[in-house]
Amino acid sequence: MTGAVAIQTVVSGLSTGSAYVLIAIGFTLLQRLTGVIAFAHGDLAIGSVFVGVILLLGSAPTAATLGLASSAGLAIVVLAAGALASVLVYLLAVRPFVPRVGRAARGWDVAGWVGGGLAAGLLVRALLGLAFDQDAYAVPDPLHLSQLNRSGLVHLPGGAVVTTRTLGVLGIGLVVGLLAERLLVASRVGVRMRAVSDDATAAALLGLPVRRLTLLAFAVAGALAGLAGLLIAPGQSISVDSGVVLGLKAIAGATLGGLGSIRGALAGGLVIGLIEAFAVQASFLGPRYADVLPLAIVVLALALAPLRSRAVVLE
Amino acid sequence: MTELASDLYMLVAVLGLALCVAYCGQPVLCQGAFVSAGAFGVAHLLGVGLPLAAAVLLAVAIAAVLGGIVAVLTIHLPRAHVALSTWAIAWLAYTALQSFHWLSNGADGLSLPVPIRLHSGILHLSFTLTEGVHLGVAAVLCAGVIVALARWERGVAGLQAAALREGPALAGTLGVPVRARRAVALICAAALGGLAGAGIALLASAAAPADVSPLLSLQLFVAALIGGAAPRVWAPVAGWAVVAAIPHLAGSIAAAAEVPAVGVDGVLTAALLGLVVVLRGPVGRLLPIVRGRPRAASDTSDAGAVVPGTLVARGVSVRLGDATILDGVDLEVRPGEIHALVGANGSGKTTLLRVLSGTLRPTAGQIEFRDADITRTATARRVRAGVTRTFQRPAELPSLTPYRQVRLAALARGRDADGGWALELTDLDGHADDDPRSLTGGEQQLLQVARAAATGAAVLLLDEPAAGMSADERQRLRVVLRRLTERGVGLLLVEHDSSLVADVADRASLLDGGRVVAHGTPHEVVPALTGSGTSA
Repeated sequence: MTGAVAIQTVVSGLSTGSAYVLIAIGFTLLQRLTGVIAFAHGDLAIGSVFVGVILLLGSAPTAATLGLASSAGLAIVVLAAGALASVLVYLLAVRPFVPRVGRAARGWDVAGWVGGGLAAGLLVRALLGLAFDQDAYAVPDPLHLSQLNRSGLVHLPGGAVVTTRTLGVLGIGLVVGLLAERLLVASRVGVRMRAVSDDATAAALLGLPVRRLTLLAFAVAGALAGLAGLLIAPGQSISVDSGVVLGLKAIAGATLGGLGSIRGALAGGLVIGLIEAFAVQASFLGPRYADVLPLAIVVLALALAPLRSRAVVLE
Repeated sequence: MTELASDLYMLVAVLGLALCVAYCGQPVLCQGAFVSAGAFGVAHLLGVGLPLAAAVLLAVAIAAVLGGIVAVLTIHLPRAHVALSTWAIAWLAYTALQSFHWLSNGADGLSLPVPIRLHSGILHLSFTLTEGVHLGVAAVLCAGVIVALARWERGVAGLQAAALREGPALAGTLGVPVRARRAVALICAAALGGLAGAGIALLASAAAPADVSPLLSLQLFVAALIGGAAPRVWAPVAGWAVVAAIPHLAGSIAAAAEVPAVGVDGVLTAALLGLVVVLRGPVGRLLPIVRGRPRAASDTSDAGAVVPGTLVARGVSVRLGDATILDGVDLEVRPGEIHALVGANGSGKTTLLRVLSGTLRPTAGQIEFRDADITRTATARRVRAGVTRTFQRPAELPSLTPYRQVRLAALARGRDADGGWALELTDLDGHADDDPRSLTGGEQQLLQVARAAATGAAVLLLDEPAAGMSADERQRLRVVLRRLTERGVGLLLVEHDSSLVADVADRASLLDGGRVVAHGTPHEVVPALTGSGTSA
């Protein structure tokens, strides 16, 4: 691999990774706040894009350039659909199975919310699949990231060339990701959310609106997933089923980051993007490993996670 | 006929998965991957010229080995992570099948030689696998698995499965080897999944990735989950009958509404999954619990005889990050003695119990029992060696009658050991076959003590056994504790009730900030406790 190719690979890996970061941050936020693994989160990312497409462009989209109004409309609809769907998933598929604030942890019904989340994701894929039954769709880019300059290409030092779109995705993904991380650490709402995630009952006793904060967290996570979908979908051909693997890749990032750390999710998402990009470029691996490797990482990182905690539990 | 045979083969996979999902409570979402291992395994093995029987056996073995690998990767994880990990495995298998041509010949899949003939040189037998033969084989397989599962469920293994499902932390303290049982269940599930896959591939003369998509894993999961709250062997059978109807229903709906059948299939599966997870709790509570007694325990000769032993903690420290929870704790629980452990909330009592019972490994120090170092011995093996604990909150096994609960605990002493004496010891023998949810809070605490005693342990670590007891029940508890010590059992009693401690304890240790700050008779120690301003 030459220097130029290496630089290109790093940039495009970070670019894909920054989209994973947005999903991974939302996933981690929900996991910390409610203790629940959001199985449908990846489906929200791709699903909300398809919802936007069907509402504004119909069921046979092309990658044609959109006007200003439809661009803004598509972007807004996608983000709103992500937020709304996420809140709905919470209300219908998660909340019935987790104990109410103040109740002991005995009410946990793991099979319940796992099944609920899986059913929600499957429902999103299946309902959209009724309208979008092809294996591959091209989706227009409402953010016009490839048209930021005339050639659509950017020359980097060292002879590397990447598309403007790659850099645009990287920029937006990183800025929003870092902003979300900062806000969750420093802002008033962020501090309140952390209080809820540390001890929801204590937070409720202190007068924090736990329910509203939880709903807000699900809405934010859903909107972040929608944005990730907007960044990823136009760059490739997608189907309604792409969401599961996308979500699992983001979860791979969150697991690498230690499951429960927003900053870890940020770093982990970028690392997964890099691993994927290098797997595609490496002569001994190739594009076939682009999905296989991150999925294997989910399994391995989960298996090894208990070893990382300092207290060794014998069971 | 082909469809019926195919559905019957898949029922074998569902029954296998029910072992994990419904009986052991492990949300395993990758049964489709094991089915594909069987299907593609048999296709490849026939392709390289192996005879039919060898190819099927080897394919099943491959699936079982994969099940073993998944077991190693998941048995130590909390349930939520098991679900996530196995869901990723389902997609990993599906993606790998689509990506690697040598594995599956891409989306087209592999075709098997036609016709497939079974030939036995020894028996001079040779016949062709027709649809009728498949139907017969599939029916026999299903019947065999159902009978085996029903026997297994009624036997003592069914009791252990109930503990795994309803209280994994509790199961270890009753001597159930949690990880080993989970691993065996997963390997059996994988092998049966592989068998189903091999059968279906032979029936269809083909193995294609699309037939073993993660949607199949979800459908198998739904079928196995039905009845998960109070599993009976008919539940997964009924579950699969419903799930197997989905594709047919989806086909007719899709044709009528002119929409893609795959989508309708998914919508129906999602709706069923949603329905099952919502209804399984309430429906499970409505089902009557099993009151029958498993094969009568034959070994009642030495009922409750205890080989006395002393449990010693030497310099036990536990540090989590920067916090020191326990700091050089020394403690001794002698046969026939009640040693009270008192201290304020957060003084480290529960952590010490976890270290002594084997759920937490100390950062420094040693635990010895009968002069052997057991610091690194896992909970279930510690129970069989003679040390177990109870929990502060009554840990319920709602589907097991008190008799079945003590019988389960007595398995730690041997397959035929009886536990009925422990109910007599705690005066619960009148409730032996009652619904455990009908017991009062105090009786549930006594049942916990009975269970712990039934394991035959020489040292019981009791975590606030008097919590939630009426004055009457406290009096009963005192009698029970005395009976236990008369048998030579050593008791470590974690208790807030200072009058109970003063009454029954022979010795007491006061824990404060993770250190033993006072040690002696209860009358020397308890004033120090009340002096430190603890609330009960």
